[in-house]
Amino acid sequence: MGTGLGLGVGIAALGVGIGLGLIGNGALQGMARQPEAIGKLQTAMLIALAFVELVFLLTVFVAPFLIK
Amino acid sequence: MDAIFLNGPSIFAEADAMSAKEPSIWGLAAYIALVLVILFVLMSYAKKGLNVRVFKNPITSLFEQLYLFIENMCVGSIGQHGRKYIPMMMTFWMMIFVGNVVALLFPFAPTADLSFNLGMALIAVCYVQYEGVKANGLLGHLKHFTGPKLSGAMVAISVLIFTIEIISELMKNVSLSLRLYGNIHGGHLAVEAMNNLGNKIYVPLGVVVLLLIKLLTCLVQALIFTMLTCVYLSLVTHHGEDHAEGDHGQAATAH
Repeated sequence: MGTGLGLGVGIAALGVGIGLGLIGNGALQGMARQPEAIGKLQTAMLIALAFVELVFLLTVFVAPFLIK
Repeated sequence: MDAIFLNGPSIFAEADAMSAKEPSIWGLAAYIALVLVILFVLMSYAKKGLNVRVFKNPITSLFEQLYLFIENMCVGSIGQHGRKYIPMMMTFWMMIFVGNVVALLFPFAPTADLSFNLGMALIAVCYVQYEGVKANGLLGHLKHFTGPKLSGAMVAISVLIFTIEIISELMKNVSLSLRLYGNIHGGHLAVEAMNNLGNKIYVPLGVVVLLLIKLLTCLVQALIFTMLTCVYLSLVTHHGEDHAEGDHGQAATAH
């Protein structure tokens, strides 16, 4: 059970890491192109980050209920 | 927490067994009381410099900056009528932030317990519904869930959309509370693991390396909780207010 949990969390972390990187990439490019929009971009970026992070947290909390 | 996850095979029970510092319900209450005491002392101290024309009291100006920040956030994401939600958002922000930061100095934080977060998320979601009903009326608020206006046989789709919206509305409070709990509790576990790593060489690695990152997490989590509540509020209260403003504008130009 422990191995499966570790593997599942690892895979989830992999995907979420890629997603967070993509969001950071997009936000940074946008900020570099349009420095005056930094405030709005930051807000949107943080919200997107929160939603992506939630996927990982859900995985962490749901996985132990699936593996029995 | 135990009451909620009673049936699960439990990683929670294991975690409880591993970390003996998880307090009971009264311990949690004591930590919440600690947070409230910190907040009340700070705010009562800040109130002293309130009647001066320029705030000389540093605590007062600190809270002024915080107020400006929250006001900026509310007005930015909700619009001009977002100003009346500032007190609630400010309360959420301060409660969560101080609740998070307490963990840097004491062995536990109230926000690292799911029940406290769930309570706060319930308050937030219910507040959003209340404000939505207040802004659009009960029928308008319910109509808001049905999506775009469809006619004829397409009403079936509206029913589907309504169901899905209700479910997502209910899941909002799960997502709000789980996000906060997972981040703070996960941060604690990470610091603990780093400290265990450094045990052999007698260096508390977690304290050295991770506490600063944890401070950032504390700030960002408080910000995200508040900002998401703002976004939910803007989704719910948007239409009615905008139409009203539009009508006023037209009336003004007509005159």
